[in-house]
Amino acid sequence: MSREKLRQLGIDLPILPTTSVGSFPKPDYLMKARSEFAKGKITREQLEEAERRATEFWIRKQEELDVDVLVDGEMYRGDMVAYFSEHIAGFEQGGLVRSYGNRYYHKPIITSEVRWQGPITVDWWKYAQSLTKRPVKGMLTGPYTVMDWSFNEAYPDRKAACFALAGEIRKEVQALVEAGAKIIQIDEPATSVRPEELPMAIEAMRIVTEGLNAYFLTHICYGAFENIYPQMLKFPVDNFDLEMSNSGLDMLDLFKKDPYTKDISFGVVDVHSHVIEEEPVVEQRLREAMAVIPKENIWVDPDCGLKTRSVDEAIAKMKVTVQAAKALRN
Amino acid sequence: MELKLANHSSYPRIGDSPEGQLLRRTIALKEKGEKTDADIRAAEDRMTELALAEQDEAGLDVVTDGQIRWYDPISHLAGKLTGIHINGLLRFFDTNFYFRQPVVDGKIERRQPLIVDEFKFARSKTSRTVKAVLTGPYTLARLSLAKDAGAVQVGKLAEAYAGALAEEVAALADAGATLIQVDEPAILKHADDFGLFESGVRALAAQKKSAQLMLAFYFGDVAPLYSKLQSLPVDALCLDFTYSPKLPAMIVSEGSSKILALGLIDGRNTRLEKADVLAREIEEIASGIKSGSAYLTPSCGLEYLPRDRAQLKLKHLATVRNTFLGKGQ
Repeated sequence: MSREKLRQLGIDLPILPTTSVGSFPKPDYLMKARSEFAKGKITREQLEEAERRATEFWIRKQEELDVDVLVDGEMYRGDMVAYFSEHIAGFEQGGLVRSYGNRYYHKPIITSEVRWQGPITVDWWKYAQSLTKRPVKGMLTGPYTVMDWSFNEAYPDRKAACFALAGEIRKEVQALVEAGAKIIQIDEPATSVRPEELPMAIEAMRIVTEGLNAYFLTHICYGAFENIYPQMLKFPVDNFDLEMSNSGLDMLDLFKKDPYTKDISFGVVDVHSHVIEEEPVVEQRLREAMAVIPKENIWVDPDCGLKTRSVDEAIAKMKVTVQAAKALRN
Repeated sequence: MELKLANHSSYPRIGDSPEGQLLRRTIALKEKGEKTDADIRAAEDRMTELALAEQDEAGLDVVTDGQIRWYDPISHLAGKLTGIHINGLLRFFDTNFYFRQPVVDGKIERRQPLIVDEFKFARSKTSRTVKAVLTGPYTLARLSLAKDAGAVQVGKLAEAYAGALAEEVAALADAGATLIQVDEPAILKHADDFGLFESGVRALAAQKKSAQLMLAFYFGDVAPLYSKLQSLPVDALCLDFTYSPKLPAMIVSEGSSKILALGLIDGRNTRLEKADVLAREIEEIASGIKSGSAYLTPSCGLEYLPRDRAQLKLKHLATVRNTFLGKGQ
């Protein structure tokens, strides 16, 4: 059914289309530019020039690797929640909180009513799409995750904050659709953490996507899927982008019990490891997927964003992903 | 009713000021080989002193060392026991904080103190009551990995951890701790394991000597277990009210023979609660507290907040108490 939707949108993809989850590592020159910008040594224009150069690098690289559905690589983003909180009115950057060990991050604070002030990602999407004839995914962080990863001082409870964000993020999705984006990914990695709030996350996604003409994906990670499957199939999206290989394909057992009913972007390489998987290993993972899910519903990609890998590792992981998918197409 | 102000457990080990960056910077330099273990200890000492000073400034009756030296609430304790190696990162309940998971591959034994030295250091730096805080045996077991996972293994692990922690409780009491808090958030998600959990509590309670033992529950609704908790051999219960809308009414209707630590100040969100609303809630709850004694405390450790906000929350404890006293007496 989703393949039909893609055709109606004018997108014809091969069997086992390949893509990536969203982020790619930032090349050294961009890391240097970000650091210099933070110290006030270069202008925003100079930083953006480096971001554009890196975006073009990754578009070219994905074409070279023969990836079917491209991403802009998120060269302009730091953190997936902080980036949106910096562009939506109503947020304040909070102080540092610990993530683990000696790692800390600035956690945003919702201090007043949230308000979309105009396109956030649209220019980046347009730029990336202008560089290639292949479809480029629009990429956003979803309302449930932005809410969960922020403090809330403005709304009476989590649900009110989540739904308010959903209404504003919908405007960004509308802007992407108007700009021509046909495939839009709305990441909700926080979804599996509080199973009791799954209905809230689903309703928020409905607010974001209902009635908009695009093929929607959502990326969910960080495990505990046994707590939200099969209820998560109620998410109003066409495709779940899931971390499969990191958990030893455990989710396939869940799919055997309760049939999986949507398209899937099936993660076939571990993004947390420096080791590049051998092609037969990746092919075997795909074969196992195909034994449970119809071939025409499977997309192929890495488990998660590749931003924590080196540029060379990210390219190698994408390469083996594409090779394995192509080998099993026929 | 007597209402004392208490910190819960952890406190931010970083701040946005240059001094607040001391520990992070020292650890980063140690990784580059430019600082030593002794430098890290000195930085931890300094950050502990700062945490104590901020609690002092907030006017708390009961303080903690802020768990500044803890990598996380699990591996800091489990990593000092035998029979365990520390593995990869896992999410800590529903937070955005990650702990390293202990993998049990041998006999769990306590061959060195776990937090006694940390307790002694904190006590030497403040005139206020220092609460010693441990993660409880059930929670340690539930978040550990054994080769053959499953209910039986959790039971065996909980028993082994309880043995080691009971020795630590005795050592803390010998070192002069008058109040020892044992955190057991995991039982809220696994109420069927209450028997296992209770065995662990009894093992620890048997070693508490003259110290008061307090059990702490957070990150879940404690109301379904409230009645059973009243029968445990402990002196006090520390309860997270932010997940438990029915808890105040339950305390009023069922009463409490234990001292209660009222976790009414949300340790997970920066918003400051309305003092008059909380004061009214305390008034209501007070009618059920038969022990006549309670603490006002954050709902959980304050490490989930930025330092400036954690400090405000501590100061807010005094504001709420003042409002309560103004209204209640």
